[in-house]
Amino acid sequence: MEQPGLKPLMGTMANLTKQTIQNLIKLSCIECSEEEQERLLIDLGKIISYFEMLDAIDTENVAPCNHVLASVVNVEREDKTGKTLSRDSFLSNAPSQIGGLIRVPPVIKNS
Amino acid sequence: MSEIYNLSAIEIRDRFLKGSISAVSIVETFLKRIEKYDSKIGAFLKVFPERALSQAKKLDERLKGGEKLGKLAGIPIAFKDNIHVKGEISTCASKFLTNYKAPFDATVTELIEAEDAIIIGKTNMDEFAMGSSTENSALQKTCNPWDLSCTPGGSSGGSAAAVAARLCPLALGSDTGGSVRLPASFCGIVGFKPTYGRVSRFGLVAYGSSLDQIGPLATTTADAALLMEVIGKHCPRDSTSFDEPQEAYLDKINNRPEGLTIGVPWQFLEELAPEPKQIFNQALETLRTLGAKIVDVDLHILKHSIAVYYILATAEASTNLARFDGIRYGVRSSKAKTLDEVYRYSKEEGFGPEVKRRILLGTYVLSAGYKDAYYKKAQKVRSLMIKSYEKTFTQCDLVATPVSPFTAFEIGAIKDPLQMYLEDIYTIGINLAGLPAISVPEGFAKDGKPLGLQLIGPQKGDALVLAAAHLYEKQSKYNLAIPTFVK
Repeated sequence: MEQPGLKPLMGTMANLTKQTIQNLIKLSCIECSEEEQERLLIDLGKIISYFEMLDAIDTENVAPCNHVLASVVNVEREDKTGKTLSRDSFLSNAPSQIGGLIRVPPVIKNS
Repeated sequence: MSEIYNLSAIEIRDRFLKGSISAVSIVETFLKRIEKYDSKIGAFLKVFPERALSQAKKLDERLKGGEKLGKLAGIPIAFKDNIHVKGEISTCASKFLTNYKAPFDATVTELIEAEDAIIIGKTNMDEFAMGSSTENSALQKTCNPWDLSCTPGGSSGGSAAAVAARLCPLALGSDTGGSVRLPASFCGIVGFKPTYGRVSRFGLVAYGSSLDQIGPLATTTADAALLMEVIGKHCPRDSTSFDEPQEAYLDKINNRPEGLTIGVPWQFLEELAPEPKQIFNQALETLRTLGAKIVDVDLHILKHSIAVYYILATAEASTNLARFDGIRYGVRSSKAKTLDEVYRYSKEEGFGPEVKRRILLGTYVLSAGYKDAYYKKAQKVRSLMIKSYEKTFTQCDLVATPVSPFTAFEIGAIKDPLQMYLEDIYTIGINLAGLPAISVPEGFAKDGKPLGLQLIGPQKGDALVLAAAHLYEKQSKYNLAIPTFVK
């Protein structure tokens, strides 16, 4: 996803802006207070600056690690129905339900 | 006869099987200890007296009936609260999951109950296993039994404190960057992190899926080996679980490993303070007297492990925790009027500051324009670390380091998140390389707090790690010390 104000920062100090924090909040769907955003700006800035130590490592011609065990192959199983959760046990943790279904606020507006 | 709580899990089981103590009185002993001490320690989020006593009664009857019982018969065991036990809470110490009850058992739960262990309760942790001190629990504080003003380490701090205080002889934790080994070190007990893929993650609430492993916390390496025999099994419900037979770790640790070469990455450890360095050197000396050869190895690339870890783990966490949206389970914000508000407000109210920080950081390193610069770069450095370890294991059988540069620190002492991340400098690289490693008590600092020795093996070298730790433990015996406060 292309975000305004987000540009690669490797090789520079992490100059996070309030706008970057707000974009991240939006992308992550987490509401954060003004005060929390101020704190995040400082904390994330420090942590991201710390990441820049990786710049010094030569990774030319190194393959990225997608799995730590070299022996792992694709795992497949027969297409057979196994044990699944019952509707009741699945719904037992739902915060709001109606008629055996999960209830959510309306997503389609009346015209 | 020594008090039952002083015994190892294996000794407790053997007394039960011989008929010298009933399962009910074992459970009652530990329940009484929890009642007496846990108000000060805060290890347990929930204790299961009825469940445990009813299981114990059944075991007593089955033993009387002449039935052959399982490998863990009569042993009370505590679970970190991110491992599912059907019908019981799995809060992950988060407000988001305060009311969540697991609708199914984790694979480890099924395996452990099939061997007749008795689950006695669920323990406190850093919220969603994100932390190194258990201070990030949104539900309660846990104190270190060696010094109640200090943290027990984290994130499996509740499990470590419970075992150290002999509130139960055995516990399960999970280790993503050191979360079993660090609290084991801080609490003076044994903590084992298996090779990635040895133990099923099915039913463990995911944090960093390419790093997470469930592991045992115990007072002896033999107990840890026994529990590993049970849980180290291929599981078709976890596609990263490797398909190899279970190993008889308990038999294997009794075969004394001869002619061991142990590598120490001195360059990587150069900043170690004098006191922990001296204790670590003593441990190496003990290993030498036991016949091991100590050699210097080069693992300087591990200096970058914190940076690599906090890119990869937060990237995985931001993906894994997207499921906590207030729709299907967890707490839904009562002020939300629209679907979008359900997501935003539920996460705002449900997640603590560290969890939010890691989700946002993970989102940052995965966003367009950054993914190659951070995430892919970190994956490449991870490859280099794996290679570096592979090369090291051509020069030695095991690697030794301290578990932590410090003993347990005071509650509230570390406020800066990055400073807290640096606590895990010696443990994190092991998860990045998928290796097995153990924390075994190596002595006490002048302040009376314990420190752990870390022994690291090559992938699938779990048995050798346990065997070497067992050899060291029999000689050093630091694992037998019990905090005065709970004697």
